[in-house]
Amino acid sequence: MKTMISYWRACTLLCGGMLVSPVWAQGLGNVSQSNQQGTEAPKVGQSYVDTSSGETPNPQVLGMEIPLLDPASNTMTYNGAKIDVGNNELVRARFEKYLQQNPDVSSDAKRYRKKMNELLKLTQKSARSKREIGSEVLVRIGNGLYELNEYEGDSGQAASLASAIASALAVQYANRSRDRENAALEKEIDKLVERTNRYESRNTGKGTASRDKNAQAQKTTTNDYLIEHNKTKVKKKETLGVKNDAESVAATELSKINFQSTIVSMLMQRRYNHALIGAHTYRHIFRDGDTTLKIDSESQAGKLFEGGVGLPPTVNTMATIAANMRRDVDQNMEAVVNMLAQNKLGEATQSLIQAVATGEYMESVATFPIEGRRRIAEYWSLRKRALPALNARDYGTVEEIAAKLKQLDVDFDDSMLSSYCAGRKAQSDLHLRNAAKALKAGDDERFNAEITKAGTIWPKNPNLQKGREQLEKVDNQDAVRDEFRTLMARKAYRTVYNEQDKFEVVAIDQELKQQYKEAITLIGTIDGMLTQLEIIAKQDSVMGPCMAYETLLERGEQDARYKEDEKYRDALNRYALAAHDFTQALEKAKECEQRREYGSALANYYRAQCLYPRSTAAGAGARRVTEIILKAQF
Amino acid sequence: MARKRRSSKNKKSQLPLALGGGAAVLLLAVAAAVVMKPSAPKEGTQDSRFRVADYRADASRLTGNSYALSARVENIETLGNDRVVAVSLPNNPQERLPLLVRSGVSGRVNLTRGDTFTFYVVCRNGRDANGAEVKGIMVVEKVEAE
Repeated sequence: MKTMISYWRACTLLCGGMLVSPVWAQGLGNVSQSNQQGTEAPKVGQSYVDTSSGETPNPQVLGMEIPLLDPASNTMTYNGAKIDVGNNELVRARFEKYLQQNPDVSSDAKRYRKKMNELLKLTQKSARSKREIGSEVLVRIGNGLYELNEYEGDSGQAASLASAIASALAVQYANRSRDRENAALEKEIDKLVERTNRYESRNTGKGTASRDKNAQAQKTTTNDYLIEHNKTKVKKKETLGVKNDAESVAATELSKINFQSTIVSMLMQRRYNHALIGAHTYRHIFRDGDTTLKIDSESQAGKLFEGGVGLPPTVNTMATIAANMRRDVDQNMEAVVNMLAQNKLGEATQSLIQAVATGEYMESVATFPIEGRRRIAEYWSLRKRALPALNARDYGTVEEIAAKLKQLDVDFDDSMLSSYCAGRKAQSDLHLRNAAKALKAGDDERFNAEITKAGTIWPKNPNLQKGREQLEKVDNQDAVRDEFRTLMARKAYRTVYNEQDKFEVVAIDQELKQQYKEAITLIGTIDGMLTQLEIIAKQDSVMGPCMAYETLLERGEQDARYKEDEKYRDALNRYALAAHDFTQALEKAKECEQRREYGSALANYYRAQCLYPRSTAAGAGARRVTEIILKAQF
Repeated sequence: MARKRRSSKNKKSQLPLALGGGAAVLLLAVAAAVVMKPSAPKEGTQDSRFRVADYRADASRLTGNSYALSARVENIETLGNDRVVAVSLPNNPQERLPLLVRSGVSGRVNLTRGDTFTFYVVCRNGRDANGAEVKGIMVVEKVEAE
């Protein structure tokens, strides 16, 4: 379990590094804001976060801020700010750029990858070979790295690693030189000590003659001087040796730190192959067996690399992480391909984001086919549009997007989204309905309130346009109402009928509603009747016009409004002309009846009946006059 | 054929001329007067100059005139024993002429639709129950079956 935690920590570090080290990740966090808030200017290795805010600063590695990825919520915490990785502008931009790029399958790229693989095998193989500075393996590795540098996609990483190796080797050579110097010093010291001892032996030796005593005293004085001289030289040489040792140790430590920094940098830039080559080469160059990372074990970075078991992080830890990340990226890409084959665009997109984020320069990611990129780009584009559409409360668009996502992704569950949109749309429509009711009731205040609510809930509600049109009608209502009243006073029902859409708004007014309805109904009835009469008149050219005339006449007598209609009057005149004899007979009958010339009146009614036997006017007139005649006295 | 007759009150004698002239002249004058003067209607004859259209136009103008009309019964309206009979004349079957047939006028003649009869009629004015004038009614005085 601890190992898993350690791995996740390493992942977060790597992902963080991925997001920080590249250019596109720079600028995350609100440095200027912190400074503006009057906090002390951060030093190298310090977090920019204002600790007074309660947020904990992010861990640091080599003075770099490390954003932490929370895999549970897919959010990244950076300087106290939580960023949705899947919906972050920078991540999105990087991912979208990748989706629009062609697969990197050029001959240069293939050659580069081939050499890289060869170099990896060489370094792995060399790990088992004899370690020796300046060995042929190291030379080949160095040359290979400089060859890799020729490919521009390498971005100078190989050269950087080669330089680090060269620098480390230079230090090793300098150390060796110092070691040789120290060895020479040791020999010289030994000789000096031997000579000193000899001088001391001579000083303690006994003379045989008195005459030699003066000479002996003189020699002793000379030996003492040499002894003293030798001792001084020995001390100097010993000091020089100690100094050389110290310089070697310091140079080695510094060299290790520099080399380790290069490996960590490669790892954080997601150059896993470079990191692996560096890690394997490290053991060649530094043969003392000490691979411990030279970082403070108490620092957060040290804890991130410590391996979860309390041991100090080593170069091997870096190599393990690089190898695991390579494997993880390849597995992600394998999953992407499989999920695309199953039309699981959502999961494929998530896996590809992870793969691109952690292994953008890996072969499996760089050579991912363009067809797959386009499919995912389409899905990604739709998904990207969904959130702004939802934020803009454009539920129609959201539903369209959800439907398309559903088509693209068999696993996409749109039920919650659809339910939410449908509910909001229904709410908006309900307010619109209330607005319509308020409009009819003449309640402007409530109308405005309901329209505002409907627009707030669903600004792009198509029914809002209808509401606006009704509003415009309300604005013009007074003028239309006056015009309507004028027309009704002039009994111009047909004008109202012809412009019924325009005058429909007066129906809002209860007072005019009835008049509007009656005018529309009246003219509708007249037109319907005229159409029917025209058909009948065409069927029987003799009695048809008589019947049409008499029908129109009857209706006109029943409802005086008929006579106000021009079309009615035209029809009446037309049928009166067509049924001239009949109309003449009827008119003459009425005229005679008024003059009390009942004989002539009855004869004319008879005449009219002869022309149109079903004439109700003629029949009624005949019956009326007959009764008068029968009751009269002659 | 129906022939219109005039009242004897309008007739003027030609005898003073005959007395003032010779006997031959008298005879010629008498003969001419006989030829030129409208003859008095004879009961039971048809009046060919009677037109329903004239009657429809202005019946009052015919008030006092008598006609013997051969006509076909088209319709009968009854009030008690009195009847208004609509008849058609042979010269204009499309027209209907209303005739008032009082009770007992037809005698033993049974007026039935579709049959033709000779109606002896007089154009008269009458009064209704309120005393108002009822003009130009053809009142049947006698009916004969044909």
